[in-house]
Amino acid sequence: MDTLQTSLDGLMIGSTYALIGIGFALVFGIMRRINLAFGACLLFGAALAIYLEPWLGWGVWGLFLVTMVGAALASAYVERLCFAPHTKRTQSMTAMIASFAIWMQLDEISSQMLPQRTHAYHGLEMPTFWLGEISVRGDQLLHFCMALVSIMLLYVLLYKTHLGLLIRATADNPETAYLLGVRVPWLGFIIFLVAGILGGVGAFMILSADGYVTPMFGMWSTFKGLLAMILGGLGSLPGAVIGGLILGVVETHAGATLGAEYRDMVTFGLVFLVLIIRPGGLMGVKIYRTESLAQERI
Amino acid sequence: MLSVNNLVTSYGLIKALKGVSLEAREGEVTCILGPNGAGKTTLMFTLAGILSPDAGTVNLLGHNLTGLGGPKVLNQGLALVPENRLVFPDMSVHENLLAGAFTQSKAMAVEVSEDIDKMYTRFPILKTRYDQLAGTLSGGEQQMLTLARALMSRPTILLLDEPSVGLSPLIVNEIFDIIKQLNEDGMSILLVEQNVNKALQVADYFYLLDQGKVTFGGTPDQLQNDDIIKRAYLGGE
Repeated sequence: MDTLQTSLDGLMIGSTYALIGIGFALVFGIMRRINLAFGACLLFGAALAIYLEPWLGWGVWGLFLVTMVGAALASAYVERLCFAPHTKRTQSMTAMIASFAIWMQLDEISSQMLPQRTHAYHGLEMPTFWLGEISVRGDQLLHFCMALVSIMLLYVLLYKTHLGLLIRATADNPETAYLLGVRVPWLGFIIFLVAGILGGVGAFMILSADGYVTPMFGMWSTFKGLLAMILGGLGSLPGAVIGGLILGVVETHAGATLGAEYRDMVTFGLVFLVLIIRPGGLMGVKIYRTESLAQERI
Repeated sequence: MLSVNNLVTSYGLIKALKGVSLEAREGEVTCILGPNGAGKTTLMFTLAGILSPDAGTVNLLGHNLTGLGGPKVLNQGLALVPENRLVFPDMSVHENLLAGAFTQSKAMAVEVSEDIDKMYTRFPILKTRYDQLAGTLSGGEQQMLTLARALMSRPTILLLDEPSVGLSPLIVNEIFDIIKQLNEDGMSILLVEQNVNKALQVADYFYLLDQGKVTFGGTPDQLQNDDIIKRAYLGGE
């Protein structure tokens, strides 16, 4: 029973890691770049939400909205500043190093808005459900449903809309997409925006479940998101979801069994193991294979 | 129809095109021959708007296309079928064709599906494989897919960069039959080819490109009759 409870808790938190992981995987899968400032964008969104709360007074849903919008705006800002000017394949390093610098900047701005070490981030007051001996927190259940809905919306966007076709084509082969009239720079902007929105939802879920936010949140969410993406396979969206869920479950079990000090050690150890046994992540090395095949052909 | 005047394109300090002038006439198949490194692909990329020229002009039916960039050139009616059959490998045949119609606005969805039906009629093999991932098709099928995809953008002139490369002779014949058929149906075509035999069969006019310059322009008969050129570029027949 305990195992079931722990696994359930793990899935709940894993779904938030999945969303953040998708944020990284979208950008890597389509633009072949990692937005190192992504976690800091989420922190910025949360900081902005708490900072504006006295003015807006919209309660928890206000926090949700501003976190999402703030994260999306910060993500778009990073795209315009760091990634848009360096679009050639050889310049991906330049763009990522630039985003590393903006990570610092956004962290600093967030600290200015949240000077204390912790700030309250109000969650929803919801009852706890009991299924026999298993307890499920009402707000975490709602969050899980929100994550599900977000992922389904993303799926619809990518596979059922014209824009989704453009995105998938650009992910497959940006040069050919450009040849067919896709305005690739504009598409990059859209991707960063979508990643910011999804990450914002994930950030809201974590912070409102915990009830507080600290300045470390930027780095913390960057790690979780990157680990989820690495576990699942770089650039793979289903991989990011699975990676996030596995990360959540393993982490929670490790914390319950071995104690909080060993939790992170087990998590990183798992990623290490996966990288040795299956270097491309769980969903394989599809991107690299395609690219190397294409290079061979040319 | 498509007139190119003194086009100069460089890669950094290296001039790949040193003042290329040529003309592709409406309703004709114009063919560009030349040895490797002559600048043929550079020329195609410049015309399609992927590369920006340093000097010179490109005019299509009076519209100035010089330096416009890929999407705008496509809008003006110039479609390029690139070398090496660049399909979208992880998307189905049907989705690849839809991708070709990116520049057609969503409001024309009905016409897009009509266009796709036309492609399936012209290329029946694509119809049988409409659901398959493009990366799993054979070379010849991929070439047809790239052709059909370019046609989806309803071009006024079609640019083909070495359609026969890497394909078996039987498939090459099929592809060139299709090219001839397209031309007979009214499509103007600018073709870059290494396979001189096939090119001689379909082209109405030839240009020879060598080291970034046009060294010869003439009809197939003129080309056949000029022994010097034959020996220099066609290895003697």
